[in-house]
Amino acid sequence: MDLTMDNKIKIKSNNLNVFYGQKQALFDINLEINQNEVTALIGPSGCGKSTFIRCINRMNDVIDICRMEGQIQIDDKNIYDPGVDVVQLREKVGMVFQKPNPFPKSIYENVSYGPKIHGIGESKDDLDQIVENSLKRAALWNEVKDRLEEPGTSLSGGQQQRLCIARAISVNPEIILMDEPCSALDPIATAKIEELIDELKKTFTIVIVTHSMAQAVRVSQKTGFFHMGKIIEVGTTEQIFKNPTNNMTQDYITGRFG
Amino acid sequence: MTNDTHIVKSYGEELQFLNDSIIQMGSLTESLLTDSMNAITILDKDAVDRIVQSDKKINEYRAKIDTQIMTILVKRAPMAIDLRVAISALRISQDLERIGDLAKGSAKKIVPLPEDLSQTLLDSLKRLGNTVKNQLNKTLDAYIKKSKEGAIEVIKLDENVNELTYLSIKEILNFLSKDNKNLEFATNLLFVAKNLERAGDHIRRISENIYYLVEGDYYKK
Repeated sequence: MDLTMDNKIKIKSNNLNVFYGQKQALFDINLEINQNEVTALIGPSGCGKSTFIRCINRMNDVIDICRMEGQIQIDDKNIYDPGVDVVQLREKVGMVFQKPNPFPKSIYENVSYGPKIHGIGESKDDLDQIVENSLKRAALWNEVKDRLEEPGTSLSGGQQQRLCIARAISVNPEIILMDEPCSALDPIATAKIEELIDELKKTFTIVIVTHSMAQAVRVSQKTGFFHMGKIIEVGTTEQIFKNPTNNMTQDYITGRFG
Repeated sequence: MTNDTHIVKSYGEELQFLNDSIIQMGSLTESLLTDSMNAITILDKDAVDRIVQSDKKINEYRAKIDTQIMTILVKRAPMAIDLRVAISALRISQDLERIGDLAKGSAKKIVPLPEDLSQTLLDSLKRLGNTVKNQLNKTLDAYIKKSKEGAIEVIKLDENVNELTYLSIKEILNFLSKDNKNLEFATNLLFVAKNLERAGDHIRRISENIYYLVEGDYYKK
């Protein structure tokens, strides 16, 4: 297993507290996420891991009752500073969701939409190139190159998810957040996404929320265990799954919880 | 301490069954070792039949434990302590099987004891055999209790086995040097002493695996 724990810190949360109305969802989260690594977040449903990654691209901003305290820094800059442009932030931080959610548009438009609105591709040639590169990096090009005008929704579930990854990387982000990206996919489609994640980490910093321990072991270098809004243990994935120091982590990963 | 109950009860039962199999295999190996020493030092002929039977059973246990571990790995993808239970059981069963083989190998050397065999030599062999048996007993106890301290004690006491082996070999060579007709018998005894020392090494390895099982790390001196 590749253990590069001395990598540069890309994302850092400092005493992050998140509230939905009166209910506190995250408690004093301090977590460092290394650049060009895959960090897996595990924990039972409702433990706060999705809430946490949604803080990284300020997706929680759109929820009226959501309030946060503390900081999330990307490259040492607090993304919650008043001067931060959220649109620019989301260009930098892409996201892939549990269910593939392609736009009801063609495969081509799904990938070219982001670069267009962010003003990345100037000409049609530029956009063609971005679409081709993004689909190639998402390991989907060979399967769709002859039917780019077909609707994205016509693809299989696994292909749709790779299309969403292509869409996310088309705007050259630095970070990709993945919220259970394989939970709706069959084992072959899952294997393709995992292979892709391994490739993508060379260019991007990846944070993945997963309910599959085996997946966390396969794809990540660092793992954080969340429970009831708190981070219980963080370590190299190898250490967490072979010899966790916290009994609660051990009980969770060995299926003794509760 | 970690919670003892798995959400999936049958998973916990499978691990418990594996644990029990190792303990049963260990007890069988222990009695085989006793029989083997009796066969050599007090010419217990009945022991030889028991040894053959026990060795067969030990080999069956090894195969059974292998299957149990493979099933657990495939069905449960064990993590952390459960993974270490499976991996250490795999290694421990291999060492127990080897101890059985060595004890059986020693018992095969059984021949009537020569009249001029010194009591000192016999005593030193018995002492070596008893120490090895004692070590196996302690290591099985450490396995049952999952005791790191018990495992460390056995690892440290392995030096005693080595020293007693050295003393026995010296006695055997002394016996050999007295008369050339002793050559065959003395050679057999050398094998017995060497087998006991190697059994001691396997016992130390079992204890190292118990340490690994409990601590999640390798024992360092």
